[in-house]
Amino acid sequence: MSSRDEIIEAVRGTLGSNRANAATVRRDADALLEELTAIRPDLLADDLVEAFIARLVTPKVAATAERIADASELPAAVARYLEARGLPTAIALQPAAVLQALDWSGFELHDRVAPDETLAVGFARWGIAETGSLVFHSDAETPILANFLPLHHLVMVRASTVLAYLDDYAAATAGQRPPRNVNIITGASGTTDIEGSLVLGAHGPRYLHVVILDESAEPRALQS
Amino acid sequence: MSAPHATSAAASSSKRDARPIAFVSAQALRERMHDAVNDPHLRKSFRGAMDFLMAKRAAQFPDESELDSLRTLSEGIRQYSLSRLPDLLEQLEAKLTRNGVQVHWAADADEANAIMLGIARRHAAKTIVKGKSMVSEEIEFNHAMHDAGIDALESDMGEYIVQLAGEKPSHIIMPAIHKTKEQIATLFAEKVPGVSYTDNVDTLIQIGRQVLREKFEQADIGLSGVNFAVAETGTLCLVENEGNGRMCTTVPRVHMAITGIEKVVEKLEHVAPLYSILTRSATGQAISTYFNLISGPRKPGEKDGPEEVHLILLDNGRSQAYADEQLRKTLQCIRCGACMNHCPVYTRIGGLAYGTTYPGPIGKIISPHLMGLEQTHLLPTVSTLCGACGEVCPVKIPIPELLVRLRGEAQSKPHDNPVMVGQGAGYSALASFVWRTWARIYARPGNYRMFSWLASRFRALTPSRQSGWTAARTPLTPAPRRLRDMVRDRQ
Repeated sequence: MSSRDEIIEAVRGTLGSNRANAATVRRDADALLEELTAIRPDLLADDLVEAFIARLVTPKVAATAERIADASELPAAVARYLEARGLPTAIALQPAAVLQALDWSGFELHDRVAPDETLAVGFARWGIAETGSLVFHSDAETPILANFLPLHHLVMVRASTVLAYLDDYAAATAGQRPPRNVNIITGASGTTDIEGSLVLGAHGPRYLHVVILDESAEPRALQS
Repeated sequence: MSAPHATSAAASSSKRDARPIAFVSAQALRERMHDAVNDPHLRKSFRGAMDFLMAKRAAQFPDESELDSLRTLSEGIRQYSLSRLPDLLEQLEAKLTRNGVQVHWAADADEANAIMLGIARRHAAKTIVKGKSMVSEEIEFNHAMHDAGIDALESDMGEYIVQLAGEKPSHIIMPAIHKTKEQIATLFAEKVPGVSYTDNVDTLIQIGRQVLREKFEQADIGLSGVNFAVAETGTLCLVENEGNGRMCTTVPRVHMAITGIEKVVEKLEHVAPLYSILTRSATGQAISTYFNLISGPRKPGEKDGPEEVHLILLDNGRSQAYADEQLRKTLQCIRCGACMNHCPVYTRIGGLAYGTTYPGPIGKIISPHLMGLEQTHLLPTVSTLCGACGEVCPVKIPIPELLVRLRGEAQSKPHDNPVMVGQGAGYSALASFVWRTWARIYARPGNYRMFSWLASRFRALTPSRQSGWTAARTPLTPAPRRLRDMVRDRQ
């Protein structure tokens, strides 16, 4: 007998008398999820986008954020970010259609991210207000190494896709076939492996800047 | 008391003895504990780190009743998942296979290593870059690859440091916590080419980042663990803060993931609360920096991601724990390490003294299943039974209760129908006789009166050296007058 069959048989054979029928199993699982909604922590603000931003700029997440009212404002936002930090205008741009469609004149663009890339601009599918997280899906348009390699990671996310809780993302995608890779990113890469001191920029980006595309709002800058 | 068993177990496990600290002999365990307690650096490192982690966890749970609800829910999800384990494992395999992931099953460490070595050989791999995986430590993966001439390189900063030093991790989430920054600075200066001594923590981490960036590019295979495996979608979930794990699972051409069979859950919605209580209990973070969900190899048109993904599902004693309804609770564990952080024994002796892959309270209840009681029968006694581990466990594993159960399994007389490998390995006919006699004395007031009268009368005969007891304590001597006599005088 193969190890597979032995293992399955060993656990099935000892499952015990409380093997439930399908209906009970379903009820148990649903009951578990109902409990979940009862113990969610409070958000930092009533408005989802405000709560999201408030969380992003907490020292624990250590990101910076700003709002724009139209996608066409993104290149200017990137230019401001680069200028404020004295960074070169050669940047990696994720080949997402929503980003490629913008006017990037004045920048030197490449879509292949180098191992020592300074800055990459990317697009997140969802934001999570509870934790200040960004959700990325891998596909042909959104390669994921752009999220891992650069020192500065600059991300656009639509205000309309900001969800309250992480479990809302799980619920929103329930029943769908998942993409090859989902990256949920909350702040900058960090480690406390030496004497418990927090050091940012361990293996991933050291700086994370989030640009929220709020097509219903007036533009206003927020700061860290 | 247990020395004869220890020697026979050592003789029968000569194969394991070839590997570093795989056998927990009484002598070696006592020596390691003694050394650890007398090492002021180590004591200070652990005290500081554990205080830090306890405070961070406490800050995440200001509301006691909310914490209790979340623990009850998490316990429920884990127990629910385990109650459907065989079905979920089959579903996981089917969905992963549909997604293009190759699923392998391993009964023990040797089989798991053989499977991964086979994959490595097929790709003529020279270097494997590793994300943090306790299961890979459990099966001595690095050792097995080294024997086959393949480099297995750790990329988690803490694990990288521990590997450079030729040591083992001392905490499941903070592997290098036993080392000071000065020790790490010296280590880097000695072992990393072109690096001179610096004890600036930021610079040390940047050195690690630069060295490992190159390694990710060069590696033929990336290896990772798995925090949760979702059966419904065929998805492997990985929790981390540094970002090395996702490099391991994305940059090399082949990704191998290895996990214990108990890590499977039904659906992604069940992962969300477990993930939340995991990071809050482990490092006091509301969420980890990175959470990666992997459901297959690179798809046509995609520019990155591995071309091949393998999952190795490891039993290695877990089905033994599963077979017993009480011991099954061991498998609820989500590996947060909170039981270690709150353990008065762990804080004083550190993780290396235990001599097992998983140290601390959880290690004491899981190692006997992985290694058998012959090698581990002393472990459940390295505890004060204070109960802190059970109180903080995010999935409510009754660790103190399981420790008592395992003591019973280890020290009861060997019988024909054991639930555990090595049952009775700590049995001593003499100790058993002493306890039975004591029980006879204690259970009858007449016997007890007689015994205490004799004890007071002949107290001068009590030996001044009483085996292990007097190693660190004053001898036990009966009182010159019995309590009952003193009470009678007062009346």
